[in-house]
Amino acid sequence: MLTDVVAALATPPGRSALAVVRLSGAGAIEIAERILDVGRREEGGGKRGLADVADRVASLMTFVAPDGTPIDQGLVTLFRAPHSYTGDDLVEFSCHGGLLVPGRLLAALHAAGARPAAPGEFTRRAVLNGKLDLLQAEAVGDLIDATAPAQGRAALRQLDGALSRRLLTLREELVELLAVLAYAIDFPEEDDGPVPVERIVGLLDRGADTVARLLATAPTGERPRAGALVVLAGRPNAGKSSLFNALLGADRALVTEIPGTTRDAIEASADIDGWPVRLIDTAGLRESDERIERMGIDMSRRYVGAADLVLLCAEAGRELLADEEALARESPTLVVRTKGDLADADGDDKGVRVSAVTGVGLDRLRRAMAERLFASGSAQDDLEPMLTHERHRVALGRAGDSLAEARPHLGDGGDPVLAAHHLGHAVSALDELIGLVHPDEVLGKVFSSFCVGK
Amino acid sequence: MAARSGARTLLLTQHLETIGQMSCNPAIGGIAKGTVVREVDALGGVMGRATDMARIQFRMLNRSKGPAVWSPRAQCDRGLYRRAVRTLLERFPLLQFSQGTAARFLMQGGRVVGVLTTDGRRLESKAVVITAGTFLRGQIHMGLADPIPAGRAGEGPSVEVSQAIADLGVTIERFKTGTPPRIDGRSVDLDGLQRQDGEEVPYWFSFYERAHHPNQLPCYLTHTTERLREIITSHLSESAMYGGAISGRGPRYCPSIEDKIVRFPHALRHQVFLEPEGLDTSEMYVNGLSTSLPPPVQLEYLRSVPGLERVEMTRPGYAIEYDYFPPTQLDHTLRVRHLEGLYFAGQVNGTTGYEEAAGQGAIAGLNAAAAALGRDPVRLGRDEAFIGVLIDDLVTRGVDEPYRLFTSRSEFRLLLRQDNALRRLLPLAVERGLLSDSERMVGEDRLEGEERVMAFSRETSISPVQANPILEEARTSPLSEPVRLSELAKRPGVDLGALLGAVGAPHGGEETAWASVELRYGGYIERDQQLADRLSEMEEFVIPAEMEFRDLVSLSFEAREKLSRHQPSSLGHAGRIPGVSPSDLQNLVMEILKRRRPTPA
Repeated sequence: MLTDVVAALATPPGRSALAVVRLSGAGAIEIAERILDVGRREEGGGKRGLADVADRVASLMTFVAPDGTPIDQGLVTLFRAPHSYTGDDLVEFSCHGGLLVPGRLLAALHAAGARPAAPGEFTRRAVLNGKLDLLQAEAVGDLIDATAPAQGRAALRQLDGALSRRLLTLREELVELLAVLAYAIDFPEEDDGPVPVERIVGLLDRGADTVARLLATAPTGERPRAGALVVLAGRPNAGKSSLFNALLGADRALVTEIPGTTRDAIEASADIDGWPVRLIDTAGLRESDERIERMGIDMSRRYVGAADLVLLCAEAGRELLADEEALARESPTLVVRTKGDLADADGDDKGVRVSAVTGVGLDRLRRAMAERLFASGSAQDDLEPMLTHERHRVALGRAGDSLAEARPHLGDGGDPVLAAHHLGHAVSALDELIGLVHPDEVLGKVFSSFCVGK
Repeated sequence: MAARSGARTLLLTQHLETIGQMSCNPAIGGIAKGTVVREVDALGGVMGRATDMARIQFRMLNRSKGPAVWSPRAQCDRGLYRRAVRTLLERFPLLQFSQGTAARFLMQGGRVVGVLTTDGRRLESKAVVITAGTFLRGQIHMGLADPIPAGRAGEGPSVEVSQAIADLGVTIERFKTGTPPRIDGRSVDLDGLQRQDGEEVPYWFSFYERAHHPNQLPCYLTHTTERLREIITSHLSESAMYGGAISGRGPRYCPSIEDKIVRFPHALRHQVFLEPEGLDTSEMYVNGLSTSLPPPVQLEYLRSVPGLERVEMTRPGYAIEYDYFPPTQLDHTLRVRHLEGLYFAGQVNGTTGYEEAAGQGAIAGLNAAAAALGRDPVRLGRDEAFIGVLIDDLVTRGVDEPYRLFTSRSEFRLLLRQDNALRRLLPLAVERGLLSDSERMVGEDRLEGEERVMAFSRETSISPVQANPILEEARTSPLSEPVRLSELAKRPGVDLGALLGAVGAPHGGEETAWASVELRYGGYIERDQQLADRLSEMEEFVIPAEMEFRDLVSLSFEAREKLSRHQPSSLGHAGRIPGVSPSDLQNLVMEILKRRRPTPA
């Protein structure tokens, strides 16, 4: 038994036109054959078992229950190992949707010898079989969970291996530097003589530079996945809750003409021009003697402090007040002039004029928000792979620290043993990130690049 | 080692005169190897002492780098070394010597219980250690001529025992290695060659004895020329290696001159070291020109080397092919896994080098004796000794070329140093009774001396007035207030001995140097030790012998393949098998724990 055969519904359960059932593991094809009606297949032009079916070609077949009663007619596609998602033999059945047909199909597969797959088991097998690395598997999860197009794009890039490749190149460079240090230590009297200090230091600095550049992508890179935090702030009754509802397209927050209606912070996820945003409506900022309102105001200030972007709401057609100006200076702020339908059409405001009532200006506001929050990300999209998880940032941060610690031990009079010690830590941080093992590669590199042997 | 640990031991050899004969270059020690010499010495072996008695040049390699990788190496007088080894071995009353060649094994219920010699003697024992070097079905190649059966130039091979070992179900493979020509020193024009003198510093490989060194001799450095490249290139097809006469794989780090020319065609020149063979002869060893070309070509290329224009060759270089037993068939005690009583050490395990052989010999001997005496076996960890790294690499990873030690083989470079070999291994040597009383006392005294220096340095502060001249000399910033000695000793270039002298404390001696390295790497050593402890927890996590790795579906296919091939005995062992990832290990733990849980009745 190499990998046992697992089966699971790959599409959401419930009413649908089609459903897909996946079967994977060593022996998946034999199990699949057990639920196919051979007689019916014969009608379709001569007897052919699955053995004759080409890879990745959909064939129309009839699925039968153990007692021989037909379940459905559908498409069967074979992906033979190792050219499948999991790396094992894999069979995909497309059948009609709904509750009954996929359920009966799965039951037939279980009766034929497959066991139900655990959550994420197909991807897990792909990692175990070396089809995906850790970063790519993570991206599969991100892609499935993506709620906004940009999030999907980032996940797809990571799945494509852009980040893995960049990290592997970086790792390769660090291993080369380790090999140079190993050569310096283990082969002190060879033909090529000592390695020039400039070369060693140059290699390290290049690695450190790559780490720094990747780390710089983390804030933008993590944002599409975690969603950007956008806080609506402003004086009481400035129209924050109306704008909040308008951006969501739903009445989530209570709106009245009474200043101070919003006490607590309200959070909702919104799709802003394809980007994921956590939108937060807050209590209006003013001096208040009322205890609950004061608590709400304190919370508002905390949210403003943590925001990726503050939408500072102020009625159209009036000057900004001193405290509003101050807030705009202190936080990443976009000024929104609300209640645009009530002000002079030609009033010259600072900021984006909108009306939650007529909807005028909302599209402009959405574009402006997306640009402020994600512009750098979309511009970098095609150039630099980005760090999309906190895990990436922490591991690379550790690698960067280790490189910085190695630096003073390089060069003349330095202790290459300590340099190698720190460098080794940097490489293991990357290994952890990608999920790698490494055999005797340092010495292998030494032998392939230096002429050694007295 | 077996005799020292209390077992009656017989040394069976084809020629008693060749005990301690160096087959290849006349040097002991070097990178990582020098540390092994000291480890063997700490355990009571003779290699360090014999080297001290025979050395005609000493150098500490890597002195410009961190003290963790300082590596002692000595050129030796071949004759003196051989005689020293014999003399030192004859000190051990339980060791007997016998001349003869093993042919077959005496067996008793699947156990090896002695050997039968080619001259028909039955030698009975409780355990047998095979240390046959390159002698097992050895074949010497020079050019394309028919190979000469030999164990070493001028000595016959050992043929029967190889077959006898194969008959016991042990797999055999072939390796090759090579040696350079030797020359008549009287025909060398030394003028114009770079003379390399040794260091005139007090240093003994041995921790226990201070032998008298013979007179010291220089080596000479010259180099290959364009002409040599032409000669080699035009005769390449006559090389046994390149002409296809040899199939066995050779070491990458000890390439023949043919290899160097072919693999690095753009290198302008290669170094050639002329090393004295001894005090009583002018013969020299031409280090760097190992070859399997025919002797006339060897002479031709030798004469293209500056200083060797009129050289006479005393012995041609040659390549030798020999049997080895892939060492993954052994356990960590160097016993053949499926056979009680049979141990292998040295080149028969696919290693090169005198030091690697000595390290294995020590452990195989100790374990054979332990088995004979009914004691627990001895295993050295990867964090305890380079010998431990060596053996673990051999039995867990195997070899695909003759194996040599490097510091890079160890994940604990900072722990495995030549200066702390005594500290690392004295406890084991004492526990196993490997030392005489006087050796034990010398060893303990020396470690106490080191402790005293460390304690004093940690407790004592030095004033700016006392310290600043020393700091100035080391080109590091001066003090403005008193600082503890142990802190200052961490600065690169600052000499702990000088600081001790400045505060009027006793200093000097190797113990001060040991203490200074310990202080200098203190924090790092502690962290490495913690890591080593974590790893040794993994060593202690035993994998049940009946584990069916192929059934562990939560592990990667590659890992299952590798695990079932290597049958690791512990989690640590499993983790060092290439192709087994940390996540595989994690899942392996889960699977083992699952199986340990008692099944509900």
